[in-house]
Order: sequence, then structure tokens, then C-alpha cells
Amino acid sequence: MSAALFRRTVAAGRWRLLAVAAGLATWGFLLPVIYATFGADFRQLVESGYFADLFDAFTAFGGGSVFTLDGSVALGFLHPIPIALVAVLAIGYPVAALAGERQRGTLEVLLARPLSRRRVYATAMAATIAYVVVALAANLAGVVAGAVLFDVADELEPARLLLVWANAVLLFATLGAVALAVSATFDRFEPALGLVLGFAFVSYAVELLGTLWPDMAAWRPWSFFHYFQPAEILAGDASPVDAVVLAGISVAAVFYGLWIFPRRDLAAPS
Amino acid sequence: MNAIETIGLSKAYADRGGLGRLGGRRRQPILALDDMTLTVRPGEIFGFLGPNGSGKTTCIRLLLGFLHPTGGSARVLGLDTGTDSVAIRGRVGYLPGGIALYDAMTGRDLLDYLARLYGRPPALRSRLLDGLELAARDLARPVRDYSRGMRQKVGIIQALQHDPEVAILDEPSEGLDPLMQRAFYEILDERRSAGRTVFFSSHILSEVERVCDRVAIIRRGRLVALEEIGVLLARRRRAVEMRVDGAPPVLAGIPGVSGVVVADGRVRCQLEGDVRPFLAAIARSPVTDLTIEPARLEEAFLELYEDDVEP
Repeated sequence: MSAALFRRTVAAGRWRLLAVAAGLATWGFLLPVIYATFGADFRQLVESGYFADLFDAFTAFGGGSVFTLDGSVALGFLHPIPIALVAVLAIGYPVAALAGERQRGTLEVLLARPLSRRRVYATAMAATIAYVVVALAANLAGVVAGAVLFDVADELEPARLLLVWANAVLLFATLGAVALAVSATFDRFEPALGLVLGFAFVSYAVELLGTLWPDMAAWRPWSFFHYFQPAEILAGDASPVDAVVLAGISVAAVFYGLWIFPRRDLAAPS
Repeated sequence: MNAIETIGLSKAYADRGGLGRLGGRRRQPILALDDMTLTVRPGEIFGFLGPNGSGKTTCIRLLLGFLHPTGGSARVLGLDTGTDSVAIRGRVGYLPGGIALYDAMTGRDLLDYLARLYGRPPALRSRLLDGLELAARDLARPVRDYSRGMRQKVGIIQALQHDPEVAILDEPSEGLDPLMQRAFYEILDERRSAGRTVFFSSHILSEVERVCDRVAIIRRGRLVALEEIGVLLARRRRAVEMRVDGAPPVLAGIPGVSGVVVADGRVRCQLEGDVRPFLAAIARSPVTDLTIEPARLEEAFLELYEDDVEP
């Protein structure tokens, strides 16, 4: 890894990181607030039994809901809004870091220095992880702040909350590793971004539909999002297999990227 | 040890590999560089000449390890471009053609950043800034506000500021006005005086003629000439015109003379190589006026490319 390149990367992306972190912190803050304010009313509705099927379906996806604090925290990580926000960094940055720089022509200015391509790749991967860690930490901080300010913090289990955060970091780092591997393979930004976004969208849709539609359930293990179940973690049922699968995919993607990137011809940008 | 050495260097662009196939259509292999063998000596300014698409940039990118050769090999400062490209890039300064810069950075931040990645102090920066008339206030502005000429100046400075042993410059004077071109040539002369090597590609013949010690001419990926500038010029056909007051000189069979036309007391011909046989042949003729056009690299270039020149 190159320290100078890492510092420059983080400095260049600091405003984007701040904006995403602020968005995630706000989102994370809102969910305990909604739970503290309306959770009891929602719970009464659930317990009335009138909408039992609807609520079952609503909470099936990752256990996300605002009827419990755990459900609120799970929703804070699994809702499309935080996923889209984190994807700006976990997918947008790695695709821009290689394919984007390649298309602009700045990659050859960078690689004219005494930096191996593997070192550049490793630095981009480290920056991706750093962005994800900071962004999700903001989300976590928002959750904690909301829970403390609205007096529901005693319902949180700090160790389990940290485990959710770590699992979320692993999920988005895996997406980032895949995005960077694709980025290393393409000469242009748009096709690489389209491919990774399409892949992430399909993966999310498979898990979502699999939880709602029994015929799709068998497909769920093919989704990245299947290996992030925050409600189960908060309930004390964390599965180490999830972490192993995500870590395995990350390692495979990084190895592929480190193998393909130095072997590629970097012809003049068109 | 040569500064640069290529032996049978070849590059054919094949279809895209890996997932890149999804990003574009498969292509037929194109032979961009074919069996290129040349050497660049330490301390010389070497011109690499050819029209667009002739393979100049491909050759440069092979020297820096951006491309992988499909045949032959290359060494820079004695190091193999395939296995030692990082070490090579630590001792080389490179200016890409049509350089792209980080637009959000100021000129100074950009130069500092690129120097840091070398891990060597930018010892020549102030001299280059003075020579290319780039003021401190210019460097304080974001690169996105720069004109094309200013971008090119920053490109030249980033390539040379760390005093590299070899500078590889792709179309370095593109975008510079004539005054700045002259300043750039002075910088190249200084590099030569300091014993550094400069390898630069160009299609501006006058600048190659002005600054280079030797020139290689490349055509459709093949090296067609590699000469000292003086030798190349001496081989060119120069146009000769003379007025005679009486019988014209007999030029048939004189070495180097061709295309003799006699009309209205004028003799026109073309002269190639050594001028002494020609001068001996006309010495006793009643010549009243004689013009021998100086040899120009442009003509040498056009002769080598005459098949490509559209009517």
C-alpha cells in the first residue's frame, strides 16, 4: 500500500464521505426515534392480530421493523436508503479508482511513478474499506445517539450492535472488493459501474423476494445480502458462516483483482 | 550500458481479456509494433518520429511496462521492462501524450503529490518553473482552470522535476506556443549537458531537427530509419538550380545527381549525398548563379512516407 496515494485518495473523497456519513447518521438517528415515539402504537397494532400476515411479511426481510428497537436497528442497515448511501462509497469509489482513472487518463500519470499495480490496487482496496468503516460508523453513531436521546438505550446490547456493524462492514467491503475487481478489468467507467450496480441490485432483489415468496427462497443463498441478518445477530443468533462466506468472496475478489490488474494491457485512453 | 534498448520488440493487440469482453466488442489482432530494434545512448536526445497511429505511443508504453510485448524484449537503464518496470519508473520521467491531470487539485498540490510518489525531492522544479514561465500564482489555481499550454507545462515539469536519468516524452511540445517551445528546447539542451537522456516522440519535424542527436522513423509499426540527424539530412535529395551562360555542364553519370532538366539557360536537378563530385562537374562550366536548397528533415520524412501521402 502507498501511504501518499492513500492520503490523497481519502482527501479527494472527503466531502463525499462526509455527505454520506451525515446522511447515514441522520438515518440511523431517526429509527430509534421512530421506535421510541410510535413503537408502542405499532406494537399494539401487531398484537391486535388484524394485520398479522402483513406484519409478518414486513418483518421477514432481515427482521427489519419499527415495532422493536432491534427491528429498527436492523432496518437502519437493510433499508434501500442506507444501502444506496453506502453504495456511493463501496461501489462508486472502487469503480472510479481504476476504470474511471483509466478512462480519464490519470491512471497512467499515477502508474508512471514507481508504484506497482498491485500496490495501487491494494491502496484502492484499503481506501474502500476505510470509507465503508467510517460511513457505517456514522450510521451506528446515529443509532446510539437516537437511542440515548429518546431513552431507549437500555434496550440495546452494545456487543451485539458492534457485531451488526462489523457484519455490515464485511458485507459492503465484499461488494467493494467485487466492484474493484470489475473496475480492474474494464477500461471504461460506465460499463463497470453498470455491471456492479446491476449485480448488487439483483442480489438485493433475490434476498428480498426470497423472504416474501417461498418459491424464491431457495435462491437466497446466492445473494450477498443473505449473509447479513442484523435482527438475528441482535437476538444473539449470529452465524459465523455468514462472515466466513462474505470473507471468502472478498478474498477471492481481491486475489482475482491482484492477478488480472498487473496482467492487463493499459493502452492509451481513447 | 544503453539508456534504452529494444530487441525485436513487437506488440499485437488481441481481443480483450477477462470480464473486459463485456465492455466492448472482440477485435481482430492488430500488429501495432513489429520487430523494433533500436538503442538510445546515454546522454543523447533521441527523436522518435512518425505520423499518428504509427506505433510511437505503443513503443513508449511498452518501455514503461503499461503494455506487455507479444515478442522481443526491451531494457531501460539495463533493467528489463517486463520484470523491473517499477525500478525503471523510479529512474525515468514520463510525459504522456495529451496528459490528463487531477483537475480539482492546484498545480502546486499536484506537483507535490506526484513528487511524493517518486520519493525524491523535486530538485529541478524551480528551474523548470522559471524556464517555462509558470508563476507561483498560476500554481495556486486549480488545474481545471488551466489552458492547454499550461497543462502541458505542468506535464513537462512533473516529468522532469525529480531529475530523472531518462526522460520519455510523448509529443512534449504539443500545445506550447513558439516562445515556450524554444524555452522547452533549452531545457532539453540542459538535460543533455547534464548527461541525462531524453527520448521523445514527435511529428513536428523542425523540433526534431533542432534538438535531436539521432532520430528513429517509424512507419506502420516498423522502424524504417535510425540515423544521426546529420547523416539522414546528408542523404536527402536537395533541389539544385543554376543559371548558365553557354553550354550546360554534363551531369549524366555524376554520383548523387538525378532528374536533370535543362531549359532556357537554367539547369535543374536533384542532389543526394556528397556534393564534391557535383561541384567538380560544374567547376569548368559557365555557371552564373547557383542555388542548393538546404536539406530538410521534412523531405526525408516525406520520402519515407510517400506511399502514405494523399495526393
